[in-house]
Amino acid sequence: MESIYLDHAASTPIRSEVKQAMDQAYSEDIGNPASQHLWGRRANIQLEESRQKIAIALGVDRGEIYFVRGGTESNNLAILGSVQLELQRGRVPRVITSEIEHKAVLEASTHSIKQKGSITLLPVDPKGRLNLRGLKASLKNNATIISVMAVNNETGICLPIQEIAEIAQSYGVPMHTDAVQACGKIPINLSKIPASFLSLSGHKICGPKGTGILFVRKGNTLAPLIFGGGQEGGLRPGTPDVVGAVGISTALDLCIQEQQAEHTRLTELRDTLENQLTSGISDLKIHGHGEFRAPHILNVGIPDLDGETLLANLDMEGICVSSGSACTSGSNKRSHVLKAIYGESDTTAVIRFSFGLSTNMNDIHSATEATKSVILRMRKQLD
Amino acid sequence: MKKKRILVAMSGGVDSSLAAALLIDNGFDVIGATMKTFCYSENKGPSKTCCGLEGITDARHVSEVLGIPHYVFDVEEDFTTNVIDDFVSEYAVGRTPNPCVRCNSNTKFPDLLEKGRLMGCDGVASGHYVRITDRTGLGPFLSRGSDLKKDQSYFLWDLPKTMLPFLHFPLGNLDKDTVRKKARELKLITADKPESQEICFVPSGNYRDLLERKLPALHPSLQPGPLVTLTGDIVGTHEGFASYTVGQRKGLGGGRNDVFYVVEIRPNTREVVIGTKEQCFHPALEIGNLNWLDEEPESGSTLGVQIRYGASDVPATVRTTGKSMILEFKTPQRAISPGQSAVLFSGNQVLGGGRIQSALDGDELSVRT
Repeated sequence: MESIYLDHAASTPIRSEVKQAMDQAYSEDIGNPASQHLWGRRANIQLEESRQKIAIALGVDRGEIYFVRGGTESNNLAILGSVQLELQRGRVPRVITSEIEHKAVLEASTHSIKQKGSITLLPVDPKGRLNLRGLKASLKNNATIISVMAVNNETGICLPIQEIAEIAQSYGVPMHTDAVQACGKIPINLSKIPASFLSLSGHKICGPKGTGILFVRKGNTLAPLIFGGGQEGGLRPGTPDVVGAVGISTALDLCIQEQQAEHTRLTELRDTLENQLTSGISDLKIHGHGEFRAPHILNVGIPDLDGETLLANLDMEGICVSSGSACTSGSNKRSHVLKAIYGESDTTAVIRFSFGLSTNMNDIHSATEATKSVILRMRKQLD
Repeated sequence: MKKKRILVAMSGGVDSSLAAALLIDNGFDVIGATMKTFCYSENKGPSKTCCGLEGITDARHVSEVLGIPHYVFDVEEDFTTNVIDDFVSEYAVGRTPNPCVRCNSNTKFPDLLEKGRLMGCDGVASGHYVRITDRTGLGPFLSRGSDLKKDQSYFLWDLPKTMLPFLHFPLGNLDKDTVRKKARELKLITADKPESQEICFVPSGNYRDLLERKLPALHPSLQPGPLVTLTGDIVGTHEGFASYTVGQRKGLGGGRNDVFYVVEIRPNTREVVIGTKEQCFHPALEIGNLNWLDEEPESGSTLGVQIRYGASDVPATVRTTGKSMILEFKTPQRAISPGQSAVLFSGNQVLGGGRIQSALDGDELSVRT
């Protein structure tokens, strides 16, 4: 069946340039980058050139880039690596984060409680804006780390990470930002944003799954969470995924080059879908409406409709969308993000449309038609 | 002609996997669905039961191999209220519940039908070993699966009668060996998956842990109480009557070798009554929460009654009808456990049933009828 993939916030297809670069790397005789011989040196060159490419794309130093195995791992390493360090220093760790973070940040932060620490959750208002009034108070008294995402993965709402990073800096608290959804979608200028740590994922930017990056600004330290041969400065031991590094660096380089043009293009797609759906479904609600949003996500609510069957019906029409974060079991539990923002009732069905490189205006028109007709059909069944 | 669309409940076991495959063979437009019944992350450790995470993964895999769509429906809230809470409150008053009966009639089938309706389905199906037979003019009725060793009609007596026209049970005429053989032929990864034995939300098999989590710490059903004989002699203490089921063997410990059985649980006095095997037999029982899949049996009629899963039905006569029903067995029956289902049959046809309220002895029977 022909399908229209509008779930790029969950994962993106590998782009041809990335595949090509990875194929090329696979075809070369490369060994373990730590080996001293020719094959080792060849692998090491690939790895370090990839690191260099990423550093240039992000405008940071090569030594500040660490290869990890995905966005979740990157987030965990920043938060729990800080917690671990605090414990080693004989202090009680305290993690500050927001209630609308991705589970990788929320669960890692919650885990710190099990390690004798505590967690402060910053609330959001009914528009999805982080309440900054409580921020300063929470930063006092030796907070270990504050972690706030750059773009919310469900609504696309952008959080004021520059402002937060500046406040955190003034209190001497290192800040981590989960930039997995922001990368390539909005500008992230690390020379202006004084964040200590930043997490990226390869497969959200048309790179390979299982690849990720952790940026650690010079002068900051983390304790490792796994132990081995000392690779990646001892922070992430294990033989590096050289081809993965080639893949993610190619993807990142391209998406940052194209960010501005893509922003314009995706905004037009998003706004068209938003307008078409709003005019076709009178009671449709746009989550995050009027807020500063990344252009690749449109999250809508349809009152008094069953969300699970709505998504199933759309899938059977060939429209691949989701209700938010993809959970392990594949079920569509009410999202903690929408609950935090809207206190949303159970009877609202949620669709998150998310767009990427391959999305075009025809996809948007088809998705509009399918969505309108499925909702109409379901409402008839309910009568 | 447009194919009829069927939503099939897939637990990730071999039975429902093959049920889906057979429906496809029979020309239906099939959609697979797995009900997510409780939160897996709260149940740390590997979940090997049918509806665990592994079950969902296997059901998705089988669906993909069969070329049908598959969706997961989260029924956790409904399942907790209708099944787990009922399970706990039954044990709390000294009865032994049948959670699978509750799940089928209150959660699984009603929710599937509702979801199916919203997906344009004409009916729903499952891998239960039961049959739906249509009688011209009289509507469909439910009967035992032809493999009597696997028959699962005991778990379906409480379905609303109005659902029967929409149900499909493709395994009704098959035996388990054939099901496995066919599943192997189709190379379904679930073909040799072991049978699930435990209650899905009690994967450890120890339901007492669940009761301790759900009930107040000092709940009477979890407190020690007297172990007494039918003549009122206190012969020991027990660890809380919620841990017992009527008919269960109960040793007295302290080096005594005599074997006793639980004959009665008295929640008001927290007594667990033990007796000999003979004292577990009763000539009659009373059932409540009645449900009928056919005409309600009349007083005086004789029919088959099955009082536990896996047992045969035995003849009994209807003594009273109404909100509850008294049934007198032709010969006394052992271990009539309050809370369990009593399912009524005419031949292999399920007439309906009820929850066992109590076992009645001869005196009670003559007073009540």
